Order: sequence, then structure tokens, then C-alpha cells
Amino acid sequence: MAAPEAPLLEVRGACRRFGERAALDGLDLAARPGELLALLGPNGAGKTTLLRAICGRLALDQGSISVGGRDPRRDPAARALVGLVPQAIALYGGLSVRANLAIFARLSGVSGRRVATAVDAALAWSGLRERADDAVRELSGGMQRRVNIAAGTLHEPALLLLDEPTVGLDPSVRGAIHEVLRSLRQRGMAIVMTTHDLHEAGDLADRVAFVTGGRVRAEGVPAALVGEVFAGASEVRLLLREPPGPALTGVLARAGLLGTGQARLWVGALAGGMGELGALRELLDHADVPVAELRLREPGLDSVFLRLTGQALR
Amino acid sequence: MRTLAVARAMLLALWRDRGALLLGFLIPVVFFVIFAEVVVGAAGGDLRLRLVVVDEVASEESGKLLATLAALPSVRSIDTAGNRNAARERVRRGTADAGLVIRADGEPLTSAGGFGRPPLLLLGDPARAVIADVLAGMLQRAYFGALPDVPLRNAVELVGSQFTEFSATQEEEIDEGLASLRRAAAAGAQVGWSFEDLLEREQVAGRSAAQNQVAYYAGAIAFMFLLLAAAQGAQTLIDEIENGIVERVAATAGGAAVVISGKFVYLVGQGLVQATLIFLAAWLVYGVDLPALWLPWLLVTVCSAIAAAGIGLALVAVSGTRGRAQAMPLVVVVMFSAVGGSMVPRFLMPGWLQDVGWLTPNTWALEAYSGVFWRDASTPELLLPCILLLGVGLLTWLVAQHSLRRLIDD
Repeated sequence: MAAPEAPLLEVRGACRRFGERAALDGLDLAARPGELLALLGPNGAGKTTLLRAICGRLALDQGSISVGGRDPRRDPAARALVGLVPQAIALYGGLSVRANLAIFARLSGVSGRRVATAVDAALAWSGLRERADDAVRELSGGMQRRVNIAAGTLHEPALLLLDEPTVGLDPSVRGAIHEVLRSLRQRGMAIVMTTHDLHEAGDLADRVAFVTGGRVRAEGVPAALVGEVFAGASEVRLLLREPPGPALTGVLARAGLLGTGQARLWVGALAGGMGELGALRELLDHADVPVAELRLREPGLDSVFLRLTGQALR
Repeated sequence: MRTLAVARAMLLALWRDRGALLLGFLIPVVFFVIFAEVVVGAAGGDLRLRLVVVDEVASEESGKLLATLAALPSVRSIDTAGNRNAARERVRRGTADAGLVIRADGEPLTSAGGFGRPPLLLLGDPARAVIADVLAGMLQRAYFGALPDVPLRNAVELVGSQFTEFSATQEEEIDEGLASLRRAAAAGAQVGWSFEDLLEREQVAGRSAAQNQVAYYAGAIAFMFLLLAAAQGAQTLIDEIENGIVERVAATAGGAAVVISGKFVYLVGQGLVQATLIFLAAWLVYGVDLPALWLPWLLVTVCSAIAAAGIGLALVAVSGTRGRAQAMPLVVVVMFSAVGGSMVPRFLMPGWLQDVGWLTPNTWALEAYSGVFWRDASTPELLLPCILLLGVGLLTWLVAQHSLRRLIDD
């Protein structure tokens, strides 16, 4: 069995404070070539700060980051390995797709005749060849996103960072973007993307990392993470009609349910299926718990996130 | 009450935005003061001249004339030059507004004038024709103040020698008339002959007043628009920060510095084209001698474009937000232009405002262009304003780089 490829990106014990707030608080992370890693976490978790630090745009208070074995903060050669796709459409809206790509190719260090080759290649894989001479602002939101991604890949970066690449897009456009990301992964790029969308992460990512409070709370292959946390059990979700008082909170805790960030929502794991759900219902009724909804479901990444952090992501 | 709630929200927002407070309340007052001073100066209310004089005669009359001239309120200072050429040089360089030579090779000051070389030589800059006229008026006032009897006596003698021999009775009547005229002259009345006969005017620089005035305004307008266009072009910096382009570029191996450097190069090029078009029009339409002076003009224009590009970028980068970046650079450019001579010729401004003008790049650019087109300045004379322009261009480029880092780094 071949040894796993060495990580292209390694983040070790990254700490960065902004005043009293710790944006990164001992964060560890690694990404290998040909791997798509999704960073999941609520707003303010430290995801964007992490991307900026990986780009060398932010000094760490403690810890280290290496890209290809070099420090991107100090070494331009490390930054040359990185491509960034910001959340905003970071393009010249009045210029054509082709002109934008040529400009960003040069800014990324592509020179001479290789610019035209890189632009043509990007137009081909992103499916934008037909619209190459249209102004970016005339394109649909989905197409603009594709140009935005293409503009970050013209120098064939070994590591591609994407900040919420599908935010605000409808499902069909999102699917097209996913195809683009899969094709980039097949070409051997290590891809790190932030997202709020747990389903997207579960479908697309080879590994996911849950980030809250500037730390990675859990990481791994999506199915394995679910298995690790639920061990074959189902997830039970209890929605109350009103927030529970101290007495009912004790009842819910004794029933094996955990509170979430939402006072009316409680979650738990049930290994015994529908039979155990019936027993739980009886217990709740006996204690006069004001149940609005009680349901059993197959756990997903959202369930893992909720159990690990006590917060619902979406 | 709802109306008041909206008004209160606006008041609170204004109070929180110190930049808007400054723009709304302080800047208008500053503008008023500047323009009031300029207008008062331009209208002659406080037009006080720096004169350079050469007294080749050194007689009692010439001494009296200069002393009376020096006492006039419109004279800011009188310096004595060693000879005519030194005086010409002072006027040419602009360190004196006009010059006066009481010449040894002319008719005496006590002559009636009009029949030989005039005793007074007035040295003026053709682009400041109004100053020569002002000085002529001042001289006339000083002459009649210092020597009220001389021109009258000369006139009588002229009539006696040229037209008729006076009888004793007539002599008495003339004496009475002279006394009357003397009294009238002392009261400031016209005495029937032209003081201009005593004056010769000499232009010490340039080909014609019209051309030099056009050259002045070409430089003045060019630099003001260089600044305005640079500040306008630099606005794209805010767009590119907001839409993430700067963030994207900052993540590349070259870093964010290329954003400022790239815009700097573009704005310098834009400034060169603008200035070239303005001076081409000045040459083709008004005959400003650009072909003969293209090399020093190019030197000054490159330095001016560099200064304008740096200033425009720094103003926008320091502003930081779209709102401030739209207002603050405009205010600064208009103030620079008003004080620095791009809107009203500097020599029409009161002395203190001319001194303050030296703090603005407009004045440096105008002095440099003046050196090229009015004063036939040598390259070393152009060096100081050019070095100042280059220096401020590079310094503000650094300020823009620093400000951008501050804007995009946390």
C-alpha cells in the first residue's frame, strides 16, 4: 500500500488575536494534492481569517503555516503555489471574460505566450468559451462565479482556496460549480473551500473540518465522521412548543438529549430505532414536556455539527 | 415627531462622521477666506509690489522720487540692484514684480520729456502687464509728489522757447498761472501733458504678453487637471478593495504593492497625455513655443505627472472609504489649485497667500513651467521645483502603499 502523499498545506497551532477576540486559537489543518477539503463553520468561526493567513496576508501570533514546505508570509514562492477565489466577484465588470483572465494571469505570474494558452485552457474547462468576449457584468451570476474561479487558477496553483464559492446560487448553478471543482481536483490541485452548506460539503468534499471559535473541532471523511459520532445510531430531534424551565431541562438531560443554540431544539442519538423513540415519547409525555415535534432521522454532517458544537449551521 | 426622528438620525450620523463635519462646516469657511483674499488681491485692494530699482543718476531729484515711491502704500518692498542687468534678472526670475531704472543716459528727470531718451526705464514681465501699468501709475503719483514744480516750470520754458517770447506782463501772468497750476497739481489735477513721455517700458522675458499668459494658464490648468484626473482615476482603488480584486492580487506572489504601482504608472501616463494635449493646443492655437522648448517642458511635465499621480493615489488611499474618497481629494485639489495659482495668477494674490502657495505642488509646477516659457530658465533653475515635484510624487506613492496595507490588513 502506497504511503499517503505528504500534505501540501500544513497549519499547526495557528493563533491570531484581534484585540480580545481570538480569530484563530490553536488551529491545526492539512490538505494533500488532489484532495478537496471543506471548512464548515458559522460566521466568525475563523474560516476567512485562516484563508488569509494561508495566503500570507496575515501574520500569526503563534503557530506556523507551510505551503509546499515554505512559509507563505515570507516566501513569494510559497504564495505562487496558492490561488485565491474570494467570495465577492473580484473581476473587472466592464471588461470581457478573456481580458479579465489575461489580466489575472499576468498578475499571477504567467508571462509571455503562456498567458494566451492559460486563458484558452481556462475558457475551455470552465465552459465559458462562447461568452469569452462578453463583458463580465453581462453574464449571469453563475457564469460570473465560474469566471471568478477560473481567474484564481490561471497559474495552475497547487493549492486553490475558495471562500464560499457557491453562496447565493440556485441548485442547478451550484451543481455546475461543483463540476468545475471536481475537474480541478482531478488535475491534482489541493482545494480548500469554506462553506456554510453541510449538504454541499457532504456531496463534494473528500474531507470536512468543523471550525468554531478559531479551532478545528473535528475533521475527517464525511461518512466516517458521522459514523464516529453516531456509531450507527439514528438522530432524534425534539422541538418544544416553548423553551423549557430548569425542571424540564433536567428531564431532557436524563433522557439523553443535548441542548443546542436554539432553546426549543434538543438532539440525541437513538440506537434502538422506532421502538426506542416510542419509549422516549412516553417519558416526555409523562413529564409533561410540551412536545411540538419529535422525529428520528438518518444523521448527516449537520447532525454531527450540532452534536459537536451545540450550534445549528443552517 | 417622525420628521424629527429622521432629522435626528442624520444629525447623529454627521456627528459620527468627522470627515463629513469637516467638509460641511470648516472647509467652506476656509474656501471663503482664500477666495476673498484672492478677489481682494485681484481687484487691487491689496496689490503690493516688490520693486527692484537702479538709480544711475543718484541726484537729489532721483533720491526724492525713490523715497516718495517707497512711502506709497502699494509698495511692498524696494530693493536696489547694482545695474540694469541685475534688475532685469530679478524681474525675469520673478523675485521682483517690476523694475525701475533712473537712467544716466536719458534726459534729466527735470526735463519735460518727449524729445529725447526718457529718464525712467520700467522693467516689466509681459505676462503681468497689469503690474507695469500699476507701477506707471505709482510712479506718476510719486513724481508729482516728489517734484511738483519741475514739470510745470519745464512746460512754461517749453512754451517760451518754442512758441513766443513773453512780455513782462505775460511773464507775470504766467507766474500767476504757474502758481495756480502748481496748486492744482498739488491737489492732484491733470496739468496737460503726458507723464508717459518720461517712461520707457521694457519687457524682460518672453515674446509677447499674450503668449506668456497662455503659457501660464496652460501650466496652471494642466496641473490642476492632472491632479483632478489622478484623484478620479485613483477612485478605482476603492472599487477594487470593495469587490475583492485587491484581496485577490494581494494573495499573489507580487503582493498588494503592485496595485498601487500599476495605478501609479497608469496615472503618470494619463497625466503626460493630458499635459501634452493642453500644451499642443497652446502651441497650435496661441503660438506658445513648445517645439523650441520641448525638452525642459518634458522634464517639468514628467515631474508634474509623477507628483499628481502620487498625490491622487495617496488622497484616495488615505480617505479609505468611498464617501470620503469622493469628497476629500476634490477639496484638497481645489484648495491646492486656488492657493497655488491654478485659478488666479499668483502675482495677483496678497503676499501672505503667495507665500502659502509655496506649500502647494501647483506653485512648484507653475514656477517650473514659468521658468521654461517666460524666463528662459536654465536647467539648474528648473531643478528645485522639479525635485520638489518628484519628491512629493514618490513620497505620496509611499503613503499610498502604506495606506493600502493599513486598509486591507487587519
